[in-house]
Amino acid sequence: MASTIPYRPSNDSLSASNNKTNGLPRLSPAPSFVGRSASGSQMSFRRTSTENAVGYKQRRCKSQYPLDSPERHVEYILVASFHIDRGPIMEHQYPAAISGDESMLAELMLPDQTHVRSQDWTIFFLHKDTSGDDDEEETEDGKKKKKRKSKYHANEEAAHLQDENQDDASDGESTDDEEGGEGPPLMYVLNLVNTKQDHTVRRGAVVKAMAICTRHSFLHIYKPLLLLALEDYFKSPYPETLASLYDAVNAMDLSLMPKMSLLERHILQSSNTKEMFLEKFEQMVRQREEEEAENGDVPPSPKKTSRYVLPRDTHEFESKVVYNDIPIPVKIPTVIWPETVGDFSLVKLIQTFAGPHATSPQPFPSHPHLTTSGPLTHPIIVLVNAILTQKRVVFLGHNRPSGEVAEAVLAACALASGGILRGFTRHAFPYTDLTKIDDLLKVPGFIAGVTNPTFANHPEWWDVLCDLPTGRMKISSHVEPAPVTEGLLFFQQQNSLLPNQASNAHQDPTGDNLFIEDILRSISNRHGENAIRAKWRAYIMKFARVAAAFEEAVYGASNLYIIGPGEELSPDSPTGQQTDASDPSSLRGHGYVWTDEVAKQRELSASVSRIEGWRNTRSYYSYIQDIAAMYYPARPIQRPDLHHHHDRLRSLKLSHADAGAIYLALSHAVRDYAGICQLLAVAPENQAGLFYLSMGLFHPDQVVREATCDLLDRIAAHPAGRHFWSHLTRFAKLGYFRVKRDRDAAQSPISGAASGSGSPTTANVGASFGGEPQSLVGVALGDSSFQRRS
Amino acid sequence: MGGQVSKMMGKIFGTKEMRILMLGLDAAGKTTILYKLKLSNQDVTTIPTVGFNVESVTYKNVKFNVWDVGGQDKIRPLWRHYYSGTQGLIFVVDSSDTARLEEARSELHKIINDREMKDALLLVFANKQDIGGHLSPEEITNELQLTKLKDKLWYVAPSVATDGTGIFEGLAWLSNNVKTQPAK
Repeated sequence: MASTIPYRPSNDSLSASNNKTNGLPRLSPAPSFVGRSASGSQMSFRRTSTENAVGYKQRRCKSQYPLDSPERHVEYILVASFHIDRGPIMEHQYPAAISGDESMLAELMLPDQTHVRSQDWTIFFLHKDTSGDDDEEETEDGKKKKKRKSKYHANEEAAHLQDENQDDASDGESTDDEEGGEGPPLMYVLNLVNTKQDHTVRRGAVVKAMAICTRHSFLHIYKPLLLLALEDYFKSPYPETLASLYDAVNAMDLSLMPKMSLLERHILQSSNTKEMFLEKFEQMVRQREEEEAENGDVPPSPKKTSRYVLPRDTHEFESKVVYNDIPIPVKIPTVIWPETVGDFSLVKLIQTFAGPHATSPQPFPSHPHLTTSGPLTHPIIVLVNAILTQKRVVFLGHNRPSGEVAEAVLAACALASGGILRGFTRHAFPYTDLTKIDDLLKVPGFIAGVTNPTFANHPEWWDVLCDLPTGRMKISSHVEPAPVTEGLLFFQQQNSLLPNQASNAHQDPTGDNLFIEDILRSISNRHGENAIRAKWRAYIMKFARVAAAFEEAVYGASNLYIIGPGEELSPDSPTGQQTDASDPSSLRGHGYVWTDEVAKQRELSASVSRIEGWRNTRSYYSYIQDIAAMYYPARPIQRPDLHHHHDRLRSLKLSHADAGAIYLALSHAVRDYAGICQLLAVAPENQAGLFYLSMGLFHPDQVVREATCDLLDRIAAHPAGRHFWSHLTRFAKLGYFRVKRDRDAAQSPISGAASGSGSPTTANVGASFGGEPQSLVGVALGDSSFQRRS
Repeated sequence: MGGQVSKMMGKIFGTKEMRILMLGLDAAGKTTILYKLKLSNQDVTTIPTVGFNVESVTYKNVKFNVWDVGGQDKIRPLWRHYYSGTQGLIFVVDSSDTARLEEARSELHKIINDREMKDALLLVFANKQDIGGHLSPEEITNELQLTKLKDKLWYVAPSVATDGTGIFEGLAWLSNNVKTQPAK
């Protein structure tokens, strides 16, 4: 991907070094792309954010999939068939034979019971290493070769990550390729199999399958193409059919899709605003048009409408693939989180297992890692616990298409990952069958999808079996008992000294029951897949933060949190104190926020087993690596801990002094583009957005009110922040104007210019205000953004 | 005698369950037999099995869960995964395909020598009795060297799967001989 191009963010000006390093030497230097495009296209550039950027550097926007990238969208096309004498065989491979076991591939491409349905989809992953002798085409790129060469041994993986870290550190916010550290990216295979009854052939049927091998996780976009191409292949079973598909998909142009930083991706994904970061798309188009004008590719004519269209929703990028002269539209997600592969539905997965549990719950046998809320733990929680603690999970869908089990496996990976934890898809087998069982059983902890009910008869093959047709989950009688770990013993010792032992009596110490209820309510209120994914993301985020607090409490330090400068471990660093009286941003405190110590102990003691179970898994170790690698990209502001203090505003009843200190610290620390991104990322729109920040406008201390006002000014002028601002309640906006007015009145005539400079904001606000007078209370209640769902 | 007891048990305890595994070389007629059992009065046309089929058939108070597993030589190594918990093996032989009888014998002996299959009943369908040049059940018995087997309850039933001849007789033998162990 684009990370292979070294990029230096340190240069503030758009110096010529950019041109050299990003491999596009033909580009013009900075001035030509600052401000509005001269091409005068009639495209709807509704707002140009570039003008209101207060000190934001206008830097060249990079493409996620540059035109000159050596990487192809699709690397191989395969065709297999079921030979009536020999079983599954590979018929053709294009452009070259893929390395590895050919008959294994052919078996995967012809799923069990394919003979009972005319069409079926499967997905599977290949751990293909491109450094093999079989690949000549990619050797010209030295760095990529190095990147992909690593094998899957833990040590080499760690060593490899070091490399990546250095790259990332020098790369700042512009590059944070999550794939780093896990070895070569997986090869994702989307496969279509057709069974055609044909009485002219021996034994009456022809079964053929065609597969697309890609390193993009959005492989579902190729479905319509496979349908057409496999149909063609039945008519002309020659390599040429594969070649024309290969050429068509690789001609797909995604080069106008901007690359985003980690924080920008956070914000975009948790937002429902369809124009979020539209500026970047505009900039991509502008850059392209300037490039073309310079090269004389297209004669610059001011009257011409642009050939490029801006996305209607910035969450997706629309392009097309022209196959056999048929243009097929495709939509590519702008933000792709780790562990998100294909188009699955968390809603569907949750409903499958929540339904039967709601009508007649079946008790599970007790297992400390899995049944964290007792024998009637919700099956979805059991599933997530199983994946987090690296158990062997099998999804069984007898008489179901194999595409359905594959989808369940992919959804389960995303569920446990939340886009935060990694290492699940790498050990997932969306569709597998008996032929792979020996290899499967060598993998410690996996998620596999099967359609063969004989798996149910082999409880020694799995720890948790999820039966899709019945929606029931089973914990195997062969599951390994949870070991008693040091951490568990320490924690129990510590806890036995504490007076409260009533914690067990609490109904829902983990909070999981409440969480599941909330999820189910969201589903029944049709909040949609995105809302559910955002909630799971928050759940997994919380799990990781609780685990960090647990490690700090029990081990005295945590691998999962990097202590900021001036900060110390919990007991020695009381939250809310300032280390430096003259610097408001030196506010101390970090990590997850509980309302009180009892609540903390209760939650930790309920979660201790699964946290300890997680602490030895692949996803735990890769999370530690990510924490280190993402430290700078994800935390341009290291002090104070924005997440922690925003949580305090949200969940604690603070004194005016404490709250004031937080508002001052935030206003003091959050100044530049990246800092605002970081703040917006901890205050997503679906969790009340800027609501808690805006409460600073009503603080009794005028200094705090004005600091909050300044902070909101900066946010409102920020390309992403302006959307957050426009979603703020009218009540808060009134507060904002009151503070402005008071300040103006105090400063009298001098301030005219100052308040005028906030014009984009004021204009915005004025627009959203105009019209009928309403009761303030009514406005505040009826319009509060945390209740708003799109 | 044992059959009488099992019938009585069946009457007292209701329907028994029996897990049956049906194996044989490719194109022997396994899937046709399975669907002739399931849908007795209909014509059955089959195509090669990719993987397996499984169906439940209730006959004489016994619920048979019959697994029919594809027979191409490359996928035969998978058969062993179906052994555990199997109470009866149906081995289907194409009586007219004399050239491959030796191959069938070798596969059959491999299966029944497996530890997990030692208690399973063995029913052999000498199938395709309607095709010219077929061997009789006695000849099939000799070709498969069944008389060599010790401690094994076996039976060879002649059958024509396409019209259903003989297959319920085979099933009756299984239900009469199944031990009265609780179904798994």
